[in-house]
Amino acid sequence: MNYLRLLKVFFQVNVVDELAYRVNFFINLLQSLLGLGTALAGFAIIFSFTDSLGGWQPDEILALVGVYILIGGIIRFAIQPGMEQLIQSVRDGTFDFTLTKPEDAQLITSISRIGIWEIINVFLGFSLLGISLVRLGGTIGGLQAIEFILMLLTGSVIIYSFFLILATLAFWLVRVENILMIFQSMYQAGRWPISLYPGWLRYGLTFVVPVAFATTIPVEALTSRLNWMTLLGAFLGAVVLFIVSRAFWKFGLRHYSGASA
Amino acid sequence: MRSLFQLYLQQSKTTFASMFQYRAALLIWMIGQVLEPLIFLIVWSTVSNGNGGSVGTYTTGAFVSYFLILMLVNQFTYTWLMWDYEWRIREGILSFALLKPVHPIHSFVADNIMSKAIQLPVLTVIAVALAFAFHASLAVTPWVVLLFIPALVLAFGVRFLLEWTLAQAAFWTTRVSSINQLYFLLLLLLSGQIAPLSLLPHSVQIAAKILPLYWTVGFPTELLLGKLTLSVAVFGIGVQIAWLIITLFLARLVWKFGTRAYSAVGQ
Amino acid sequence: MFVVFRNSGAIIHIQGLSKTYMVNQQEAGTSATVQGIFHRKKIEVHAVDDISFNMASGEIVGFLGPNGAGKTTTLKMLSGLLYPTKGTATVLGHIPWRREKSFPRQITLVMGQRNQLIWDIPPIHSFELNRVIYRIPRDDYQRILKELTELLELGPLLTKPVRNLSLGERMKCEIAAALLHRPQVVFLDEPTIGLDVTMQRRIRAFIAEYNKRFDATVLMTSHYMADVEALCKRVVVIHHGHLLFDGELALLLQKFTSHKTIVIQLGECQVDLNTYGEVLSCEDGRYTLRVPKAETARITERLLADLPVVDLLVEDPPIEEVIDRAFAEWNK
Repeated sequence: MNYLRLLKVFFQVNVVDELAYRVNFFINLLQSLLGLGTALAGFAIIFSFTDSLGGWQPDEILALVGVYILIGGIIRFAIQPGMEQLIQSVRDGTFDFTLTKPEDAQLITSISRIGIWEIINVFLGFSLLGISLVRLGGTIGGLQAIEFILMLLTGSVIIYSFFLILATLAFWLVRVENILMIFQSMYQAGRWPISLYPGWLRYGLTFVVPVAFATTIPVEALTSRLNWMTLLGAFLGAVVLFIVSRAFWKFGLRHYSGASA
Repeated sequence: MRSLFQLYLQQSKTTFASMFQYRAALLIWMIGQVLEPLIFLIVWSTVSNGNGGSVGTYTTGAFVSYFLILMLVNQFTYTWLMWDYEWRIREGILSFALLKPVHPIHSFVADNIMSKAIQLPVLTVIAVALAFAFHASLAVTPWVVLLFIPALVLAFGVRFLLEWTLAQAAFWTTRVSSINQLYFLLLLLLSGQIAPLSLLPHSVQIAAKILPLYWTVGFPTELLLGKLTLSVAVFGIGVQIAWLIITLFLARLVWKFGTRAYSAVGQ
Repeated sequence: MFVVFRNSGAIIHIQGLSKTYMVNQQEAGTSATVQGIFHRKKIEVHAVDDISFNMASGEIVGFLGPNGAGKTTTLKMLSGLLYPTKGTATVLGHIPWRREKSFPRQITLVMGQRNQLIWDIPPIHSFELNRVIYRIPRDDYQRILKELTELLELGPLLTKPVRNLSLGERMKCEIAAALLHRPQVVFLDEPTIGLDVTMQRRIRAFIAEYNKRFDATVLMTSHYMADVEALCKRVVVIHHGHLLFDGELALLLQKFTSHKTIVIQLGECQVDLNTYGEVLSCEDGRYTLRVPKAETARITERLLADLPVVDLLVEDPPIEEVIDRAFAEWNK
């Protein structure tokens, strides 16, 4: 299918020159390690004064930090760069070229850019998650693992759709350069369990900016904290949001092309 | 002197205009600024409540006050010089600043102060609202407030010059983002943004007090919170003055060599 | 919507095409700005107003007009980027803004001031991307790439990052990237803008050669008369969104050339020649006079009789001037 070939070519196009500079690898490795170090430092300090945080054990928080870094890496690897590129191209007019191509514009935009070095974060997050899972050992069963993976996928779809909606807004709000920053700045709340936060903040982090679906909910699934209603709700939410974001995107395209609505 | 004043006035008009243009972006930025200390506030409150109402010398209410004051002190002292500088050099427009008869630092200072003139009041209101929502506790004595003001201003001066010096690294390398990240990690750890300094391991506390970072954010915050004795506070201000002199010297030095390197390349 | 193909032989058929924008009226001054926050006045801008023309297969048509005349807007509608406000158009039997799947494969749009090439990497990678996007079979791709590389002299450019290429080199690669899928219809929006004279000539030569080899239909906008002169037998002139002229370039020049230029060489610039005609300039005794076409012979006679003429030359006015005057007349 052409989609796969497209993916392959975009990957090559994005990666080819970056890999030519080995220095980039070490610099990005350093930055990722610093990010990991910051998260672990916070973790260490907090848990030097307590044995549990809001009912969460240290290893469970560690798993959460791992997922935080992992998902953050996936977002900045696959989702964010394409959307940033979209917003930029709408601003400088090169989006017109995307529209004259025979492939679906949403498809092209979504895969047009990748942040190749974020693979390092994906790896680090994964490793941290792995370590914490080993330490949690027997408490994780097959069901939890399946729910966890399902919630990770669901979360990814929700976040992708959310980013698409933000990027589509760029058709109207051309001047808001850093609209994607909304997610970025709120994402740091995902490093800790959402259950710690007061009601209004929890609500915002679930229904306004879906940070909860990125980190807390998958790890809740992993640690048997997730009830099936939330699981079902998340799944349905993902489906609905995906459809809505696609519809909004098409609406945005029509506006961009000056169709009388 | 008069022309300097006019320069600042003119710069403020430019700053206000661009802030108005990018008001949505500004809003998004401020959300991030509030959220970070808020998150730590909540986490530490949770720890404190689970620990019988306090951790170390900090009660839950004190934690709340600490992080809210920290947010405002951070807002007062922060700069974006390192990105601004690197961006200007990359776009090749730093030359314009270098050609002007006034030292470029003034436009950066003016821009910085004027932006905060708008942001600080808004954040103060938010901080007050959050203080009520989370039951902050704060008891100030007169001398604390009296010493806080110079401590704050000195903190701004030290931080500005420090980050100005680091920003000049852009004269020599394009890879400033790594330097920036390292700096911000250190800032996070050592200036008290993750936790009050007294809760960190002893060796970290010593390192923090030797480096200038604690003196830019953590120190004024702890002072206003009443966590320092009078003698410690006064001594602290002395340290700030010392750092101000050091950073001023460093800034001048790097500026001299930096501009030389810059013009040598003939940009 | 039932569309009747009256001119089914036409590759491009445009009928009554219009595009109107609502624009916020911005006035200067503080009070106007403050007022503007509460009540914005909107005005209608007719970017394209009721234009109609057809193009046959293999034609190269020059689309002329001053800045803001509506050329780019028309091209955008024809390539499917914009919906028109009124009217219709078909390109190769498709209605462009319906964006049917097979349509983009048959056309291409080159915009002189914008790059579709990815900035930080060599053009060859962007070419590869287009190969996959347009699903060009590998053999065809290699063949067309070879031809384009030859015609445009792309050899050493293909492996240098786009940001390291000069403007002219970049433009050549842009054009190549746009033609890899061998589109039947080529829309060029100011393809030679900002380029030096040599490069402009090369690109013009390429377009002519491409049109000959592949029988492509080319609609080209430009405000360089040299482009139009070199490539287009037929021109369509647009101004303030209105179509003002559709026909042979020679006819356009004939219609709006009411004057001729006499260049006369005297000793020095001391003499006042205003009684003979409008003095446009004088340099080292070389006068340039503008005279009404009908009077040319008579005034030439008088000049030769009255003055110590070293040299005399009668010229058509430069085409730019002709167009300018045409627009000036239409503006009235």
